[in-house]
Amino acid sequence: MSLELRIDGLSKTYPNGVQALQNVSLSIPTGMFGLLGPNGAGKSTLMRTIATLQEADSGSITLGNIDVLQQKDEVRKVLGYLPQEFGVYPRVSAETLLDHFAILKGVQNRGERREVVAALLRRVNLYEVRKQNLGTYSGGMRQRFGIAQALLGNPKLIIVDEPTAGLDPGERVRFHNLLAEIGENVIIILSTHIVEDVSDLCSRMAIISHGRVLAEGDPADAMRRMEGKIWRRVVSKEQLAAFQLEHAVISTRLVGGKTVMHVFSESQPEGFLPVTASLEDVYFSTLHHAEEAAA
Amino acid sequence: MFRAIAAFELKYHLKSPLFYILLIVFSLITFGGTTSDSVTLGGAVGNINRNAPFVIMQFLMVMSVFGVLSTTAFVASAVHRDFELGTDGLFFSSPVRKWQYLGGRFVGSFIVATLIYLGVIAGIILGSLMPWIDKARLGPFDFYPYFYSLFVMVVPNLLLAGAIFFAIAALTRSLMATYAGAVFFIVASAVSSSMLEDMENEAIAALLDPFGFAAFQISTRYWTVFQRNTQVLPLEGVYLWNRILWTAVALLILGFAVWRFKFTTGTRKTRKKAGKRNTKLVEELQPIQRITLTLPKPAQTFGGMASVRQFLARVKLEAAMIFKSIPFVIMLSLGVLNIWGNSTAFGNMFGTAIYPVTGIMINVIQGAFGLFALLITAFYAGDIVWRERTIKLDQVSDAMPLPTWAQWAAKLTALFFVILATLASAVVTGIVIQAARGYFNFELGVYAKGMFVELLPFLLFIATFSFVVQVLFNQKFVGFLAVLVYFILGNALPAMDFEHLLYRFASQPQSTWSDMNGYGHFMKSILVFNLYWALFCLALLAIAHLLWVRGTESGFRQRLRIARQRFGKPVAAALALSLIAFAGTGCYIYYNTNVLNEYRTTNQEEERRANAEKKYKKFQEILQPKVTDVQADVDIYPERRAIDIRGVYTLRNKTPKPIAELHVTHNPMTLRHLKLEIPGARVKSDDRTHGYAIYTLAQPLAPGATTTMKFRGGFAAKGFPNGATNTNIVANGTFFNSISYFPQIGYNSEDELQDRNERRKHGLQPIQRMKKPDDMQARMSNGLASDWMNLDTTVSTSPDQLALAPGYLQKEWTQNGRRYFHYKTTAPILGLWSYLSAKYTVKRDSWTSPKGEKIPIEIYYDAKHAYNVDRMIDATKKSLDYFTANFSPYQHKQVRILEFPGYARFAQSFPNTIPFSESIGFIADLRDKEEIDYVFYITAHEVAHQWWAHQVIGGNVQGSTMLVETMAQYSALMVMEKEYGREKMQKFLRYELDRYLAGRGGELVAEMPLVLVENQQYIHYRKGSLVTYALRDYIGEAAVNRALAKFIRDKAFQEPPYTTATELVQYLRSEAPPEHQETITDLFERIVLYDLQAREVSATKRPDGKYAVKIRVTTAKLRGDAQGEEKPVPINDLVDIGVLGEKDKVLFTEKRRITKPEETFEVIVNGEPKKAGIDPFNKLIDRNPKDNVKSL
Repeated sequence: MSLELRIDGLSKTYPNGVQALQNVSLSIPTGMFGLLGPNGAGKSTLMRTIATLQEADSGSITLGNIDVLQQKDEVRKVLGYLPQEFGVYPRVSAETLLDHFAILKGVQNRGERREVVAALLRRVNLYEVRKQNLGTYSGGMRQRFGIAQALLGNPKLIIVDEPTAGLDPGERVRFHNLLAEIGENVIIILSTHIVEDVSDLCSRMAIISHGRVLAEGDPADAMRRMEGKIWRRVVSKEQLAAFQLEHAVISTRLVGGKTVMHVFSESQPEGFLPVTASLEDVYFSTLHHAEEAAA
Repeated sequence: MFRAIAAFELKYHLKSPLFYILLIVFSLITFGGTTSDSVTLGGAVGNINRNAPFVIMQFLMVMSVFGVLSTTAFVASAVHRDFELGTDGLFFSSPVRKWQYLGGRFVGSFIVATLIYLGVIAGIILGSLMPWIDKARLGPFDFYPYFYSLFVMVVPNLLLAGAIFFAIAALTRSLMATYAGAVFFIVASAVSSSMLEDMENEAIAALLDPFGFAAFQISTRYWTVFQRNTQVLPLEGVYLWNRILWTAVALLILGFAVWRFKFTTGTRKTRKKAGKRNTKLVEELQPIQRITLTLPKPAQTFGGMASVRQFLARVKLEAAMIFKSIPFVIMLSLGVLNIWGNSTAFGNMFGTAIYPVTGIMINVIQGAFGLFALLITAFYAGDIVWRERTIKLDQVSDAMPLPTWAQWAAKLTALFFVILATLASAVVTGIVIQAARGYFNFELGVYAKGMFVELLPFLLFIATFSFVVQVLFNQKFVGFLAVLVYFILGNALPAMDFEHLLYRFASQPQSTWSDMNGYGHFMKSILVFNLYWALFCLALLAIAHLLWVRGTESGFRQRLRIARQRFGKPVAAALALSLIAFAGTGCYIYYNTNVLNEYRTTNQEEERRANAEKKYKKFQEILQPKVTDVQADVDIYPERRAIDIRGVYTLRNKTPKPIAELHVTHNPMTLRHLKLEIPGARVKSDDRTHGYAIYTLAQPLAPGATTTMKFRGGFAAKGFPNGATNTNIVANGTFFNSISYFPQIGYNSEDELQDRNERRKHGLQPIQRMKKPDDMQARMSNGLASDWMNLDTTVSTSPDQLALAPGYLQKEWTQNGRRYFHYKTTAPILGLWSYLSAKYTVKRDSWTSPKGEKIPIEIYYDAKHAYNVDRMIDATKKSLDYFTANFSPYQHKQVRILEFPGYARFAQSFPNTIPFSESIGFIADLRDKEEIDYVFYITAHEVAHQWWAHQVIGGNVQGSTMLVETMAQYSALMVMEKEYGREKMQKFLRYELDRYLAGRGGELVAEMPLVLVENQQYIHYRKGSLVTYALRDYIGEAAVNRALAKFIRDKAFQEPPYTTATELVQYLRSEAPPEHQETITDLFERIVLYDLQAREVSATKRPDGKYAVKIRVTTAKLRGDAQGEEKPVPINDLVDIGVLGEKDKVLFTEKRRITKPEETFEVIVNGEPKKAGIDPFNKLIDRNPKDNVKSL
């Protein structure tokens, strides 16, 4: 039976008035699920709520038969969570702390625990430095330790918030492979602002902004729907403002010192060249439409 | 560059938590010292102002010793950090120069170490502002003493410590070596300062003590209260040189460190590691392999035993993290050091130590270590709640499948373990100290009770409270603030008359350990209160469970929402049960404190006593009959702490007028119930609250006529009270006297408030001064309710105890399972007697009088305290020898010394009966024959009271205590001198001199000459010893004793009017030659001080092998008035000139008349002279006795 995480009408307003989540509904099957959105979109709030760390004002979350908002202990037994930012006990070694977390994750047998700790440390390439105190770890090493703890104890639901931040390109690839390998039978929610990560890895995704779900679905489908609607043009800095008034500009970027502009249009605007829609185009056009709608 | 490095260093430390932790801890210590008498820093504050310059100097100086460790922490980190983090290479390859690097680091970190002392100062200032501080004990605020103490006393000390440990850290590059060095330094300086104390030359000792303690002590020793309240130590003389010397040493050490420091990288440890590190780098750079290794899938279990195992794993981790943290190690080592420091002199008398019995060690630990344990508790209770959130591990750990209860309970349990370990290390310290002093009876059961039944629960309650407060407030500093407010309130409430323990969180009834009686009846109430607060803590924890923050919700409404989710049956049941049991225990306590006992605050009790004085003092002069015979049956029930007294007084009207009314008083606090039966008398008034009843006699009692008064009264302990409990009537070691437990005839001033502040508060005039010696009305009384009387008493007790009272045992029998003893006096006694009952071991011996009469000597002692029993017997025999040969025959047929529990610290002489506290003689450690044998001295003093007090007593006027106490001192000195020789006496008299001079500093009313002493201990004991010893020296032992024997012959058992000290001085004068009459005036009738000094001494060997010794001396004589002001007067006195040889052997001593402020003497001696000077044996009162002689 395949597991499903259902989020239904989830809303959350912080005491300071910020509406972090507004009627969010998502259904997340097994496999990798990408969560895209700008800073402050509510991604972390959503993830923390699923990870039992935060309350919702209304709505519900269910994981299979588990009511996530009420049966927190049940969720925690099958959860692997890597928050966006985290620290460690400075005077404890990686091996000791991971072993300790394994106990918390219910791995009672000492031999099994030793085995799984060693395996995880190998997978995140920390095995050689396992005896060192965590206080001496670099940012990247610490991040890898975070990944290892999130994968402890056969989690059915893995939530990773900006996991590749601080990793070098090689480590990032290695991490992606690890996730892809695990993600076949479990739900992995990956929050990121690196669109490529999602297009590389995820079979499903959602884009959220200002606490709302703007789009949800298969990244490939989304890109297919954009096909023939994205156009590019190289412009000078001075022209930029004028074009922005006339066209639905979804992104501009510098390529080789020149500004390349992508616009969304059902038909080819004059002076623009067609481009193959990337997930990034999908992402930016979705945000752009949302802003238009709001304005 | 230098400035940049220093500034960086400063900022670095100001960002570290260690700085703030130490700032708070140090300020709390002085705050405690200022606001509470139970926290002492360098000795009690006594009568001087709470914020007196003297107190400020003393506190800052003591704190500067603690500063050795804090300063080490900062300066060592400054130089070690780069090696640890591997950033050393960065600096050493930069153009920065060695002195800039080291100097900048040192200056920056040293400034931080000094800044901590702003907290110390703030602690004193804030403490003195607290509302419960008696305003009469506060001087005006003055910034200067703080400023002075900081820069003159603290900064040089920190500089020295900083320099030494900066140098060690820089040169060894090892933190362990540095900290070990710091601990060694403190221990070494404590040891050397105790060695310096015995040094001949105080100036050198003062110079050599790096912290300036000795110099401070020498200079301020005899400061009067006025000086202590107003002056700072002048920066001059030896103190100035001390500061300059050690500052110079510090700078030299710093220079040395810079010179020897090598700009090369790495500690030994990191150099070793370097090889390893490289291989790691290689591995990290290896190409990414595609590892297809699948992760193992271990079995997971949750709930039940698995939860318990998770809980235990958390406890282990949490505790380990506290054990490894630096503030913990610092606070624990400070506490341990403080135990060690306080134990060295604890309980010493005349410099002689006591056996470190476990009960004493517990007292030392509770006083010296309690505060540090409390600080560790309060600090980590807050810290542990916030640990994951501080390092941002909270989201990870909160999402782990650990039950919420296990999350917080593990933290609290870990904290409990830390506290337990902290106390255990205190116990180990105690045991090590005991073993180091050759005492091996480690009573682990006593340690367990003192540490784990008394102190531990208190700390656990505080831990729980601080923990719960942090959880509820969810704001770290608000939490700490709340705990601080609790402590302030805890002190403020009693001062505002809210004294009930029921609402003072974590309070326990006060208890005192006694070796004889253990924790006695205190134990039960302690356990009940422990239970009470434990239940309260459980309820608090149930609430904390509901509001425990797990996850990122910190808003109170959200937390309430989560609380509702968590509020299930188990929590509800725990909360309800603990609250019900808490309330039940509270009711039980209330029943004990307020129903079985009367609850009265200190203020109410003071008011009761003040009212008694206001209402009845007017009857003080009223004529009353006196007790001539007492017959009393006394039953003591030790197991239920009760006594029952049935007595008959025979009263005789010794006045020339008929007496119509009988005033019968009693102390209602001790004699709880009393029923009087006076034939034919009518009750006129009966005030039970103040213990004052007036009876109108059927017919006025004619002059010379007698009547009887029957009474029945007693005391029975019921439950436990809120305040102080009765320690007279206890399970083992009952000791009570007739003033507190028998009715008295006439007004009794014993119970009047003594403290002048208390008297003022309750609207009473300052206490009445004593009457003049020529007041014949006053001389009709000896201060007690009877003149000489007879006692016939039968006392019964439990079959396993012996019961004693003054008098000679007539009969002993057992009846109805109780033991009875019938005692009868065979010579008249004073109207004060006592009863004792305990499980005694008895050692019997005897002394034969010159007439061949055999006098039994019996020592009744606790089996644990056999150490000095033989010394007591020996002292008794030698005293009886001397006193009967020189004064008069002994009037009783027996001498008994009886040990009683250390609830009081004294020995007291009753007729043929000497109760002796377990804490002052029975555990004195007399193994070192060099030390003063004060057991011998006290015994001789008390035996002497059988003459001085029990044969001769003075009227209740000025000088009366000279007749009793000074004469007992003189008698004891003579016996002691026969036993130990003159050299030992000099050592003893040094202490007497010191205590006399220090006592002058504490005088609040007026210093009287000896012959007019008004019950002032520093005069009648301390000056009395000096004066009588000097008198003996001038006119000779035979003459003094002749005078005393005549005086006793004339005055013994005298009926009123009673004699006076003035009369005794007349007897002494009649035995003294004319040239000493002026000396007697100086000694007894004036306050005279000398300043005698040997300036120059030299010797030349003569051809005949003898030596000619030349001694130049300067002299000054001062006469003091009652207020302590001293004026120089011309000198014209006979003073010893002496020459001492090897081992202080006296080569020459002769009295010479001194008439000029500067004189030179030349004497010829046999043998090689070593020292010479004026008054070498310190017979005269001189503030600087050590400069009387000078080494050749």
